[in-house]
Amino acid sequence: MQLDNLNREHMCSGHVGCPGCGAALAMRFLLKALGNKTIMIIPACCWSIIAGPYPQSTLKIPVLHSAFETGGAVASGVRAAHDIKGDTETTVVTWAGDGGTFDIGFQALSGAVERNENFIYVCYDNEAYMNTGVQRSSSTPYGAWTTTTPGQHWKRLRKKNIVEALVAHRIPYAATASIAFPEDLMRKAKKAKDMAGSRFIHIFSSCPTGWGMPSEMSVKIARMAVQTTIFPLYEVEDGLRYTINYTPKGYLVNEYFRLQGRFKHLTEEDLESIQEMVDEDWNLLLRKAGVALETS
Amino acid sequence: MRHVLEGSHAVSEAVRLARAQVISAYPITPQTHIVEQLSEYCANGTLNARFLRVESEHSALAALIGAASSGVRTFTATSSQGLALMHELLHWASGARLPIVMAQVNRAMAPGWNIWADQTDSLAQRDTGWVQFYCENGQEVLDTTIQAFRLAEWVNLPVMVNLDAFFLSHTYEPVDVPDQKSVDSFLPPYKPRFQLDLANPCAFNQLAPPNIYMEMRHNIQMAMDEAFTFFEQMEEEFGTILGRRHGAVEAIRCDDAEVILITSGTVTSTSRQVVAKLREKGEKVGLLKIKLFRPFPLNLLRELTKPASKIAVIDRNFSFGASGIFAQEVKAALCNFPGHPPVYGYVAGLGGRDITTEVIEDIYWLTKNSTAPENESSWVGLREVDHAVGQS
Amino acid sequence: MAAQQTPTNRTPLLIPCSYLTTEGNKTGSWRFLRPRYEEKTSPCSAACPAGEDIGRVEMLTAQGSFKEAWETVMMENPFPGVCGRVCYHPCEQQCNRKEFDEPVAIHSLERFLADTASRYELQLSLQKLESKKQKIAIVGSGPSGLAAGYFLTLLGYQADIFEALPEPGGVLRWGIPLYRLPLSILNREIAQIRELGVQIHCGKSISQEFWRGGKSEYDAIFLGCGHSRSVPLKISGEDLAGVKDGLQFLADIRRGEVSALDGTAAVIGGGNTAVDTARSAARFGAKVILIYRRRRQDMPAFAEEVEMALEEGVELWELQTPVNIAAQDGDFVVTLQHMHVIGKDGQRKARVKPDSNKKKKIRVQHLFKAVGTEASETWYEPPKKTRGMLRLSNCVLLHKSREPTLVYGGDLVADIKSVAHAVASGKQAAIALDILFHEGLDAVRPRLQSCLVAEGPSISWETYIGGPRSLRNQRVVRYSDLNTDYFQFAPMMIQPRLLPEERFQSFAEINLKIGASLAIREAERCFNCGLCNQCDNCQLFCPEIAVTRDNNPRGRHINYDYCKGCGLCVVECPRNAMILEEELLCDTS
Repeated sequence: MQLDNLNREHMCSGHVGCPGCGAALAMRFLLKALGNKTIMIIPACCWSIIAGPYPQSTLKIPVLHSAFETGGAVASGVRAAHDIKGDTETTVVTWAGDGGTFDIGFQALSGAVERNENFIYVCYDNEAYMNTGVQRSSSTPYGAWTTTTPGQHWKRLRKKNIVEALVAHRIPYAATASIAFPEDLMRKAKKAKDMAGSRFIHIFSSCPTGWGMPSEMSVKIARMAVQTTIFPLYEVEDGLRYTINYTPKGYLVNEYFRLQGRFKHLTEEDLESIQEMVDEDWNLLLRKAGVALETS
Repeated sequence: MRHVLEGSHAVSEAVRLARAQVISAYPITPQTHIVEQLSEYCANGTLNARFLRVESEHSALAALIGAASSGVRTFTATSSQGLALMHELLHWASGARLPIVMAQVNRAMAPGWNIWADQTDSLAQRDTGWVQFYCENGQEVLDTTIQAFRLAEWVNLPVMVNLDAFFLSHTYEPVDVPDQKSVDSFLPPYKPRFQLDLANPCAFNQLAPPNIYMEMRHNIQMAMDEAFTFFEQMEEEFGTILGRRHGAVEAIRCDDAEVILITSGTVTSTSRQVVAKLREKGEKVGLLKIKLFRPFPLNLLRELTKPASKIAVIDRNFSFGASGIFAQEVKAALCNFPGHPPVYGYVAGLGGRDITTEVIEDIYWLTKNSTAPENESSWVGLREVDHAVGQS
Repeated sequence: MAAQQTPTNRTPLLIPCSYLTTEGNKTGSWRFLRPRYEEKTSPCSAACPAGEDIGRVEMLTAQGSFKEAWETVMMENPFPGVCGRVCYHPCEQQCNRKEFDEPVAIHSLERFLADTASRYELQLSLQKLESKKQKIAIVGSGPSGLAAGYFLTLLGYQADIFEALPEPGGVLRWGIPLYRLPLSILNREIAQIRELGVQIHCGKSISQEFWRGGKSEYDAIFLGCGHSRSVPLKISGEDLAGVKDGLQFLADIRRGEVSALDGTAAVIGGGNTAVDTARSAARFGAKVILIYRRRRQDMPAFAEEVEMALEEGVELWELQTPVNIAAQDGDFVVTLQHMHVIGKDGQRKARVKPDSNKKKKIRVQHLFKAVGTEASETWYEPPKKTRGMLRLSNCVLLHKSREPTLVYGGDLVADIKSVAHAVASGKQAAIALDILFHEGLDAVRPRLQSCLVAEGPSISWETYIGGPRSLRNQRVVRYSDLNTDYFQFAPMMIQPRLLPEERFQSFAEINLKIGASLAIREAERCFNCGLCNQCDNCQLFCPEIAVTRDNNPRGRHINYDYCKGCGLCVVECPRNAMILEEELLCDTS
């Protein structure tokens, strides 16, 4: 891969992420690609803690911690201020969790991208409110246990398709990425950095603590999510041109679910219906990619 | 130069003269004229600023938090529900020590929907760490808004300039609009004490554990104390350059007053007339206008009310289960002050109801003729309500 | 305008703002599991009788470091050119890649390295250890004797090889047809052994008197004389004039004493000698029938060789055993008894017995016997059980106080008679003698144990002399230990060969040379099981940025100040070159 800064680190050791934290890896990869001419806005999320308490910061770039639902708006302000000061070079990035993106921050995000604010919004998705102790979010997948979808009341609703919601805003760039595919992730970050307008990157970031799995499985499980098409890797330009970046070899969802405590209650029938949903979503994506090919 | 301006445009002119760099707002009646004018200025190049047309008041303030953290001069305007929506970020702005200036048009809180004057919206935000001003007229609005930037940037606290809905926001008055040079001299470009800076990367607003949070809060209070003293010095300077002073409080004929009326906002202007009329009749009445609500001018108030035997506070606002909010503040200011006069609280003009000269005169006589305050507050001008109406 | 009258005693700000990094947090204290770099053993190298470090050889090959790769082979086996051609490559059977798609073509790559070394006349830079006073005589210059000489010389001993025939090489020279092993290859590898300092005395037979009664100047004698006498069929007519011995026939060919063979030739037997005989006879024009008493799958000959024989037109008659040979007008009439399978004999072979009276006769012009070989002298065989005798996996040691120590090696003691086993035997004998001379008989077994490649029986020279390989865990990496997500499907290379119709025109080598790019591509398929190839995944996937590149031989180290022991590096290591262990709570290091 042609990335000059691949060897540079813009993050320090000694952060307080859980062992095997996918979000820590996601940040590390992203910053390698973006470099240090980056200002980062971090609304409330695991990273509010991971970054370290006063007077520490684990990131070697300017960081603005902000209120939970303000990722899109604070970045708009930072961008506007830099523009008016004549600095149009600095990359402004919002780094939010799934709660801050799919749920409480969705309005500000939608507003910012509708205005096509010139910034990158990165959602690192660990599929629940992990920082507060694993409560369900609209990113929590069908079938998952959380502390607010306990026992037999596991979540029986689908995960919100956030990328498609962003694509509907017809923003210049929306992409998914995974900690298990660092080269793809860094390529997308670099690509986003070199574009203008609102750019959205959705990073699948496994959470050993919240998902009930051993820390060493963090990357493996993220890879399986891609391999099973539960979390396909793709990018969409201008809300129209779909590119699927990884064509899976047809792994079944079964093993992915079996490796995680949050799904251990699921029966064979449940898994079959989940497989159907996953296949349906994947076929839908394929159709979109196909349609885009025909019209382009 | 004197112009005939509505209160809203007095704000707009002040923001133009202050050379705000990032403005972010969401429309709400009766704030709209302020931002429409600024939008126009940004569009036609009169003002070199970025105007963010955000999707909510919450985002309006959030965007300014981002902008102010980047070291630029920022402004927003809102009212009532919009301010309430901003509540969380009001705390954030002060906690992050950002010199954001906001024009806040005092409007009643719903329900039922009511777009008219009422101060409960901003007074409900008194504990958010913002400096709060309540303006009486268009000139004061313009001057105070310019001063607000200077003050905010010195003490690193956000400042809210309040003006009554319609009575002030939509009322045209002659206003002296100073020239840019004078304002520039009073208000030089913003020199932030901290900002997001690639050359000096650090993280702002991160986790503050119990071992330091309290000191940080105390630091805000130190800034509030400093705001009071700085305000006085700043007004001195402003007076030197622009020839006007408004004061944190203004005392009218209080020296020998037996009854002092305490007001804020536009009701002060009406009260001036009443006081003049009663004085003609030989009544020993004074008027104390409170402009600076946060930090609350405790010592000034204690000093200026000393001669009086009774104090009547007129509140166009109310704290349910307690009393009018200014009345509370005045009582709290005086209670540790031996031999202070009794404080009579009156609630009037909520939701835009007129506080006429008659109402104010009634308040004076009620106070004068009473031996002691009977209630925490008396609601003035309440009408008979037919409770049968609208019931099934 | 009036000057700014700004007060100077501004209240200092106390804001939530960082001025330190998090590096003060030694998050390593959270750790209860500790990752560590630990190379393990690849199954191919465990399966290699000669204990070659195949995983590393392929890594070096993939990097284009052909000389290093070749020397890595040479450290365990002086015959890569030979073995790259004639070895039955059990390594490929155990290749983990087999479970992914197809095994790595280790055999072809070994040959490629030897050919490359030959083409560029690469010189071996292995260092001999300091000279020792002991001298060792080696009887027989077959692969085991040559290997013993090679390793003894590397260990600093003087080794003299005595060969009865006029040229060295034993079975490699006289028994393996040229289409499998060209002479030039053998000559080069023997020359290398000579250059190292091994003395080979040809045309010198050794009698038992050589060491009897302490007359010998040698401290030890390695007997590697092999099996050169055919086992008799024990049927009537087998001694008729013209009935030939397969091994003898192959040697005659090498001496140029065979001319055209007309008519039909029958070869009796199912081993490699039988197949070599059959294929050679075919090359002299005979129509060849290979007669074997069991089935094709039971044949001890290498399956690939059988397959090629059939491609070349050799007919295989299974479940037939000769019971009588008669001469008739210069031809032979062989009576064959039909056999049938009655069960299994051990793991592989079928047990057969005659199928009543089903018999048939076959008339042939040439008849070759190749049903097995044995030692030509009884004293070549180790005695039953005596004091001072140590039976090792690939040789037998007989230590006597007044006489030189005897080591029986090669085919004399081998269960599987292959070149790789012969090399293993010579290597084991050399190391065993070194241990014996330095530490005595009792130390031999435990010290050998410590240089096993895996659980055995292959042993590693490099491990014995304390090279980097000695740091490796002997645990064999299994397919399930790998993270195969990092590997792409790629079919095994196809070894280019002469077409069957081209083959029996001559004794030209059947397997053709492969080029460097094909070799590199094939070597890249290797998983390098258990070995670090510097892929850097451990560094890349560390959420703590606790893996740092540096100048140590491994190229990186783990900073335990920050490593939380999540184990990601271990799981994301594609090759299982790391392990995760329980943290020792009282560890003060």
